[in-house]
Amino acid sequence: MSDPDYVVQTVALSKRYGRKLALDRLDLQIPRGRIHAIVGANGAGKSTLFRVLLGFLPPSAGTAHILGRDSQRLTPADRGRIGFVNEEHTLPGWVRVDAVVRMQRRLYPRWNEGAFAEVIGHYHVLPEQRVGQLSRGERAGLNLALALAQSPELLVLDEPTLGLDVVAKRAFLESLMYSSAAERCTVIYCSHQMEEIERVADNLIILERGQLKNMSTPEDFCARVTHWVADVPFKGPEPAAVPGLLQVQRLDGLYHYLVLDQDETFAEFLRSCGARSMQSMPVGLDRAVNGFLAKNHAAPAAA
Amino acid sequence: MWDLFKAELLRLRVWALAYAAVHLAILGFLMRVVDLAQQPLLVYRVFGAVYALTGVLLGLYQMAGYRRPTTWLNLLHRPLAPWRIALALHGAGAVLLAVGVGLPALLVAVGQETMTARVVDLRHWLLPLAAWLIALGLYLAGSFAMLAPRRVALAALVLPLAWIVGGASGPWALLVQALTVAWLAALAVIAFKPDLAAPPRHPLAVAAVALPVQMAVYLAFLVLCFGVEMLWIMQGSHPLNSATAPAGGAIETDRMDGRQRLLAGLAASDDPQAPLWREQVALADVLGVGWQLGAGLRRQSLTNVAPMEFDDGERRVRWVFSHDRMRLEGYRLTDSAGTGELGIGNDTAAFPAPALPAGTLGPLPAGDGLLIAGDTLYHYVTETGRILPRIHLADGEPLAGVQPLGEAVAALGARALTVYDGRDAADADVPLTPRLRIPVPGAFGDLSAIDVVERVDGYLVSFAFTAQAHDMRGALPYQVVLAVDDDGTLRTIARRDIDADFPALYRYQAWWPSPFLHALREGARGLFARPDALTATQCAPVPRAIVWLAAVLAALAALGALLLTRNRAFSPVARAAWIIACAVVGLPAVASLWLLYRPQERLDTVPLAHAAAA
Repeated sequence: MSDPDYVVQTVALSKRYGRKLALDRLDLQIPRGRIHAIVGANGAGKSTLFRVLLGFLPPSAGTAHILGRDSQRLTPADRGRIGFVNEEHTLPGWVRVDAVVRMQRRLYPRWNEGAFAEVIGHYHVLPEQRVGQLSRGERAGLNLALALAQSPELLVLDEPTLGLDVVAKRAFLESLMYSSAAERCTVIYCSHQMEEIERVADNLIILERGQLKNMSTPEDFCARVTHWVADVPFKGPEPAAVPGLLQVQRLDGLYHYLVLDQDETFAEFLRSCGARSMQSMPVGLDRAVNGFLAKNHAAPAAA
Repeated sequence: MWDLFKAELLRLRVWALAYAAVHLAILGFLMRVVDLAQQPLLVYRVFGAVYALTGVLLGLYQMAGYRRPTTWLNLLHRPLAPWRIALALHGAGAVLLAVGVGLPALLVAVGQETMTARVVDLRHWLLPLAAWLIALGLYLAGSFAMLAPRRVALAALVLPLAWIVGGASGPWALLVQALTVAWLAALAVIAFKPDLAAPPRHPLAVAAVALPVQMAVYLAFLVLCFGVEMLWIMQGSHPLNSATAPAGGAIETDRMDGRQRLLAGLAASDDPQAPLWREQVALADVLGVGWQLGAGLRRQSLTNVAPMEFDDGERRVRWVFSHDRMRLEGYRLTDSAGTGELGIGNDTAAFPAPALPAGTLGPLPAGDGLLIAGDTLYHYVTETGRILPRIHLADGEPLAGVQPLGEAVAALGARALTVYDGRDAADADVPLTPRLRIPVPGAFGDLSAIDVVERVDGYLVSFAFTAQAHDMRGALPYQVVLAVDDDGTLRTIARRDIDADFPALYRYQAWWPSPFLHALREGARGLFARPDALTATQCAPVPRAIVWLAAVLAALAALGALLLTRNRAFSPVARAAWIIACAVVGLPAVASLWLLYRPQERLDTVPLAHAAAA
């Protein structure tokens, strides 16, 4: 049974490609409202999750519900409640912008012309232009405007700014953040750009190897990760012995430790290892997530 | 949906218009050079193949543009049922093909009708529709090939083969085409779903997809047999290309000349006069009887076996048979101006059946010609410009051919060889009167050779039935020798059973892998086809050993289904249905089960690795 308070609910969801597990018994519940960011390294299962949720891929095991409906049994009406924008911004390149808008307007009963105008106003897109003539950034903007004008209950953005330049990226984010339509729906935002996540996300979901590793506000996650700099003469402690270690580096004779879920007792640990001085400092989301994801990144077997 | 349809038209409109322009230019050029309405079958087949290729390429190209996962997701993730999206895209494809393929053909027909005196019948007006249906059918097959899982992608291409093997003609052939297109459209719609790799769910959809897959597997088996046969021929020991044909077999009989065939037949005779006849045959001239028509002509058949026209060299007029008017329509070879109609007799009555020029006979005046129309032979008299009936077979028996037989004239019908007095042949006003009627001792479709020796008081006639020696649709090969006296007395003096040269396994290779699919194939051949006495055969019963082989294979198929369905996600009813289907259809059904359904994905079967591509 699905809970109406959640837009996405998966229970022990697994998807297998041959011998590889893209989703590994994933239990995920995304509540209604706000912007939820999903991050993960390549291969973490993000796109697979979206494809399963939208009914384009069957799960190998477990269940997936989206807006309360079994993802494998979505009706056209259900699809009308879910907006989707991906990184390719696939629209027919041979069609004029005004024709695309007309098509969507007829297709979606809850079409919101104001929301469309609000977003497309951030871009210099002319109605008579063909989609193929638009820049990548303009196409991304048009796609976002179309998706928000559908008045979806859930908007899924799968790496929408991938390949955009800095200006286009900023325009995209601003048009999303300042859109009143976006405020009325739940947004799932998947990206590798931590500065984007930091700006837009209310909730941070980290997937790793198809498993849920974190679900909290970005601030809470940042608070879990700390950066310690220690002056340890001679050889520092063995990495395996360092509690909560995400990363270790030695720069200019100082050891830099990025650790997870460590409080002041970590200073005691460093002292016990011979550290003469040490200091801790907070880290940004980018550093925290990267450190977290890099911890278990695959590496070739030692020679 | 309407917007998607318009957008898709917009996408390919330039290509369609360019194709239409080139197509029109080619047809227009050919119309100036030849009469496109009177081409032999091969020409129409070449055109049909080009239209089919056009359709397949369009289907592949159009759907390749949507096949990529993200594009597919964007296309189908909208508040519109997938079948409506499929209808919009394929509807646009159908319109584009109508513009590119059908319209130029129609314009050329209009041009031929309005700008020339050539014959344009209803059947010619139907040709653009037939061309469009060919292109449309293959377009849908191409679309299915692009969208369906790769394992079954080519299965849809097997359905249009019904057009090649089918025996229906005229509007009935169009109906067969339309039904096939409807099936292919259903396949395209079934393939049009979010999860492209998923097998169909609804029982009707399963049947619609599984049957073509089974037919494709069946066809693949036959092609494999053909390939093995080619290797056999290359190796040099195949009976058909070995230097010496197997003794007592059909190939040896086919390679014999008439005298050898008669002697071989008489060798099997226990008639007391057989030794005497053998001596006569060794000394006498042996006459062969051939025929001009291998199949009956149908009114408004879309294509011609051969051009239905002949030239009057004296008047410089070309006479072309019109299926609408059932008369010949003429135009001058000098200036292409029309010269009117020509029917039977002085009042130019309509022919009772389509008339095909059949050459001439030795005794006829130069320039005169013959026409075969149904059960009657007509004589075109150059001198008077009239057409007169000369030979009429009784009871509507279709006439296959006419030729001189010594001093006489022989007319071969589907049921009998009739001998006429040749002295009257040159006199156009006199219908020929039958002198002897010799029934064909078998089915005309099995007949391969007739050899005749004139006796003092009659004829010795040998009928060899080896035409279907290697095909289970016909009779097992045999030869019959008849002694016919001038007074009409007829005796069978020999019947020789001829070896089929190949084992029964070979002759029945289309049957034992799946009697069900063989029956389906035969059903497709006969769908809306009128029986034709000229192609009718006497099918020999299937040998008991072959029946047992088929039964064993069916049992193996049921067992295979039982095993395969164990690790696939089937309800008990679906599982039982598949096992029964495999028992009925045979091994091709097991193959279709294996191709359509992959084993259920489980997490505990093999050691798993993480980090699949996201």
